[in-house]
Amino acid sequence: MPDRLSFFIPRESRVHSLNPLTKLALAFSLIILAFFGPGLFLPVALYFFVLVPLSLLGKVGKEFLQTSFRLLLPLFAFLFVMQSLFYPGGETVIFSFWIFSATSEGVVFAFRTATRILVMVSSFLLLLLTTHPSTLMNDLSRRGVPASLSYIITSTLQIIPQMQARAVTIQDAQRSRGLDTGGNLINRIRSLLPLVGPLVFSSLVDVEERAIAIEARAFTLPVKKTSLIDIPDSRGEAVLRWVMAALSLMTIGYRIWLSLN
Amino acid sequence: MALIELKNLTYHYPLTNSPALQDLDLEVQEGEFLAIVGANGAGKSTLCYTISGFIPHFFKGELAGSVSVAGIDPTKAGLGEFVQKVGLVFQNPFNQISGSKFTVYEEIAFGLENLGIDPAEMRERVDEIIRLTRIEDLKDRSPYALSGGQQQRVALASILVMRPQILVLDEPTSQLDPIGSQEVFQVIKDMALQGMTIIMAEHKVEWVAEFADRILALSAGQAIKLGTPREVLGSPELPEHGIGISRYTQVARKALQAGLWPEKRSMPVTLDECVQGFQEIIA
Amino acid sequence: MKLINSIKRDFNTMTLVMIPVAIAINVVIGQIVALLKLPVYLDSIGTVLVAAICGPWAGALTGTLSNIIWGLLVDPNALPWFPVALFIGFVAGWCAVAGLFRTWWKVIITGILVALAAATVSTPIQVYLYGGITASGSSFITAFLLQTGRDLITAVLSTNFLVEPIDKIATCLLAFAIIKGLSTRYLARFPRPENITM
Repeated sequence: MPDRLSFFIPRESRVHSLNPLTKLALAFSLIILAFFGPGLFLPVALYFFVLVPLSLLGKVGKEFLQTSFRLLLPLFAFLFVMQSLFYPGGETVIFSFWIFSATSEGVVFAFRTATRILVMVSSFLLLLLTTHPSTLMNDLSRRGVPASLSYIITSTLQIIPQMQARAVTIQDAQRSRGLDTGGNLINRIRSLLPLVGPLVFSSLVDVEERAIAIEARAFTLPVKKTSLIDIPDSRGEAVLRWVMAALSLMTIGYRIWLSLN
Repeated sequence: MALIELKNLTYHYPLTNSPALQDLDLEVQEGEFLAIVGANGAGKSTLCYTISGFIPHFFKGELAGSVSVAGIDPTKAGLGEFVQKVGLVFQNPFNQISGSKFTVYEEIAFGLENLGIDPAEMRERVDEIIRLTRIEDLKDRSPYALSGGQQQRVALASILVMRPQILVLDEPTSQLDPIGSQEVFQVIKDMALQGMTIIMAEHKVEWVAEFADRILALSAGQAIKLGTPREVLGSPELPEHGIGISRYTQVARKALQAGLWPEKRSMPVTLDECVQGFQEIIA
Repeated sequence: MKLINSIKRDFNTMTLVMIPVAIAINVVIGQIVALLKLPVYLDSIGTVLVAAICGPWAGALTGTLSNIIWGLLVDPNALPWFPVALFIGFVAGWCAVAGLFRTWWKVIITGILVALAAATVSTPIQVYLYGGITASGSSFITAFLLQTGRDLITAVLSTNFLVEPIDKIATCLLAFAIIKGLSTRYLARFPRPENITM
């Protein structure tokens, strides 16, 4: 896991400067298209003709490709092997060995699933690579998402790296006292508690003071909050979002119509 | 009417039988700097939480007697009214970071966002307070990537920017190194000189002796002494209650035993008074 | 109105501050357990903790957000599984309201109920999104069941029923152990301390 807060890469680009909601809407409509749209090759087309160009426009092309390969390759390999061998509706055998036989239906199913997941994961990846989490949350709470939800998410993003650092400290301390974290299963289970106990209790103790601290800063005061940071949005982007919403609805409608007939 | 008035105050935390504060009477005037001294568990934090409204609102428990802070009565008003008038800064700098902001500048603005202040005014106020608390060089850093002393100054700035009428400080330097403490004390001194009403629990008696107008000594939830620094810190019964006395008083006491302190002169509580005493005996 | 009040009841300032800590507990313990190569996940201890002391809605939110944040920070593959995490928190929360979080053997019952919910909710996701096969070791059991002639949904569901209980019972017991280590005075600040004490 990276020790930074998120996937975000601060660069100046047309994609970075888009309103966060536009990018979120884009991610959701691409996913809907990939899962409910027509044709076996639509997801691949969306990936190569929409997502990859946008990642290049956003100057994060290298990171985009690297991260998506790192995240997806193991799953895809597994998916293709298992599905081509075990797909339940498989009849057309391509080749077989010992008790196994690979079917073309399985390969097609694996391809369909893999490309859909590719679009799903990389749509979010594009959003996350080009949007700072606090910008996204600020924009969402300005649009009516409860401030407490936005507080929970941004605060979590800051607490996790600290707790990881604390875990490493405790782990080192316990090891230097001779705690064995390797060996057989029983040994490893036994080594878990001295690691986890101090970590959990020390962070729970802080909760009360932190609650006082945000109360002292008027967090629960029932007035309409304002925002220090102004997040740019434009008429054009708003229109674009409506178009994407309409397209998503049409895709879902198409799918429902298909299943009814 | 005094800015803070506590009458016959007794308070029990939930599920406890012995009171954390007992029969306490206190009046604090506007612009006054009151220091609270006492051993651990004497009730210093409890009193700080009472003046800032967290008792009874956050901690619950039983509050008897009457409380009035800047005209607010906790039995009639909620915590929201308190936090707009009373600012609270406590010991652990790390736990006072809101956690929802990624830079010091945004962190300081957090309270103003919650108060619904207009962004233009917000920036003015944040800039001003950053200057006053001398943290210009930190404003773009992550609040978590700071030293304890820096974090505590950010915590102070984050409260001061909300322009409270009363500043309550609960041992703000007890978890800091000497340099960090000094930086924080400097800011508090500036605020005191500007005439802000300050209530501060603190065990560094040399420091409070110099800057506080009055000192309240607490022991086991009861007030044992209330008066000027000299009246309170010079009183011989303090150590019985586990309250440290100023090291200048300690020096003078030893000197008196050895016949090196002017007999008519009272015990000093600050460095200046101590020096004056020795100058007198040398002369 | 009754529903809104039930939701509101779970959330006070302590809950808001507790949820990020609970999510961090999920993520960090999940990672340590993966590192130690234990045959369980234990990545919902924080969720069950919040569910028990704050309530089912807060538990559901903690689970959902844990999943989203795991997706944001570590692996976007986790994102579609958020309903499973949601129901872990939700079911654990109602079990606690029903008094099933007071003694260790009742906590085991909670663990079993949570496991049943998790197994049921993850089945359709696994079947429709991944064709029943994911990159986890238990998929070999599914593949085996498929070979013996079971249909896909039965195979996936039976696998989940086999795998989930150990992990969820251990998770609930660990959350219970944590709660037993906290003072009554501390627990009293949360919305539902009566779930734990009599």
